[in-house]
Amino acid sequence: MFKRILIANRGEIALRVIRACRELDVETVAIFSEADRGAPYLELADEAICVGPARAADSYLRIDRVISAAEIGNVQAIHPGYGFLSENSHFAEVCRSCDIGFIGPTPEAMERVGDKNSARALAREAGVPTVPGSDGLVSSEQEAVRVAKEVGYPVLLKATAGGGGKGMRVAANELALANAWQQASAEAQAAFGNAGIYIERYVERPRHVEIQILGDQHGTIVHLWERDCSTQRRHQKLIEESPSPRLPQETRKKMCEAAVRLAKAAGYYSAGTVEFIVDQQDNFYFIEVNARIQVEHPVSEMVTGIDLVKAQIRVAAGEKLDLVQKDIVPRGHAIECRINAEDPAHNFRPCPGRIERIIAPGGFGVRFDSHDSLVGKLIVHQPTRQEAIRTMIRALKELRVEGIKTTVPLHLEVLANTAFHEAQVDTTFVERMLAR
Amino acid sequence: MSAAEKSGDLYNVKKLRRLIELMKEHDLSEIDLKEADHHVRIKRGGEVIATTAAPVALPASRQSAAEPARQSAADAGMLVIKSPMVGTFYKASGPDSAPFVKVGDRIGPEKTVCIVEAMKVFNEIPAGVSGQVVAILVENGAPVEFGQPLIKVDPGA
Repeated sequence: MFKRILIANRGEIALRVIRACRELDVETVAIFSEADRGAPYLELADEAICVGPARAADSYLRIDRVISAAEIGNVQAIHPGYGFLSENSHFAEVCRSCDIGFIGPTPEAMERVGDKNSARALAREAGVPTVPGSDGLVSSEQEAVRVAKEVGYPVLLKATAGGGGKGMRVAANELALANAWQQASAEAQAAFGNAGIYIERYVERPRHVEIQILGDQHGTIVHLWERDCSTQRRHQKLIEESPSPRLPQETRKKMCEAAVRLAKAAGYYSAGTVEFIVDQQDNFYFIEVNARIQVEHPVSEMVTGIDLVKAQIRVAAGEKLDLVQKDIVPRGHAIECRINAEDPAHNFRPCPGRIERIIAPGGFGVRFDSHDSLVGKLIVHQPTRQEAIRTMIRALKELRVEGIKTTVPLHLEVLANTAFHEAQVDTTFVERMLAR
Repeated sequence: MSAAEKSGDLYNVKKLRRLIELMKEHDLSEIDLKEADHHVRIKRGGEVIATTAAPVALPASRQSAAEPARQSAADAGMLVIKSPMVGTFYKASGPDSAPFVKVGDRIGPEKTVCIVEAMKVFNEIPAGVSGQVVAILVENGAPVEFGQPLIKVDPGA
């Protein structure tokens, strides 16, 4: 096991890693930018090193400074947290060349899953369903019609392989396709100098379901079941829960097995997430891999009883996972609310400022992991979904944040909504609710 | 350090902060202070109003809250050369070489005052200021963080 590690992150996740290390008897070196000087969590680290000025680009994102801090801090490994350098394969490679452990997957595995196109190709090789599509640019209307017929209507036309939004058009049938093709290819030409368009099946009102995976360096890889993150607003996750309500057991098992197959094909170890969308008929399609620990990891920790961050550190040190898939049985229902500093009364404009006072909720089945860019993550765990919802409402009402506006009223509105109770939730639910 | 901070205690950010804390403690909504030709009025729930030729803004975030503490590392009128990076401090280019600077040396901005080694790269650190070296604040071979005071310089000497 490592004796001492550096945490290349800040705030809530830095604190989460420090806590895991203390339980593992591993010393910690925290790094910070001048913006975070004096932050309380830094006192819990064994050492704290300032690596640069307030701007993340000059501090947390500077590989040379982070590595220098690791060298003077005399650590054996770096935990990258989420965001910042966590999915930067070059950083993982620099760590390796400096003989510093990286608490995450190898740079090679990260690259295999990091690029959307290569990840899709890998998924298909591993027999993991992807959204049917053109697999490359379509350059004529005739070809577009042929591809659309193959993948099935409605189809989505888009100018880039990734998301983005530029030049995106939905066509419900062949007639609409002609129109959409003209517009989308003109926009693509204007924006990218190339009239070529990707075509894929448009999945209407999908659910966002992701599988937590965990692997060691000895070939064992398991899943910790799913998290449903469909309750989102403008692609920002608001509520995550596990198990995913209304997901048939057969589909759940297939998705988890697919995620493990993909991770094995990528030579992936450590913690990671395989994201899928699920359509109204419960067909699932691979979207992407998040090669890091995620914000919403506590949801899976609550239902499985497995400390993901400790496991991540152990496997990075070369230990074998002492887990067998059949023993990982989800228990009860966990819900997480991400509480942001935004003002729901004014179209969720960011509401930064000094938090004058915060009273964290507590009690049976309640966990509050305080953030700062987010205000906090509130997680509850109860035997059933209905009980979890009740506890979450109770805890949200107990939470007091003074000095800034937060998304708590929106969370309460969602939790009181009949459609949410009946689990009639897809990624468009919150916006439809707000439009009413 | 701004002129206002030097001229009057009233404009010391730390003191302003303390005043505001006192106001909160005792639930005061407004205080009004005069000292010589300086005047500070603070209202709670609104903005800080400092009626003076050189208005002082209240630090809004932790960023600036750290400033006074670090500035106090420099004695009045002294300048401090700070480390621009994380690394290891060396006062000479090699174990047998003379140090770049010693206490009492007069230096100009271009003068290399030390080396900070980061990732096997030896970065020569220029003084950036003129004056007389008053103190070398770090041991040879010691690790230094970003912004750590390295050398104290008296610009007036």
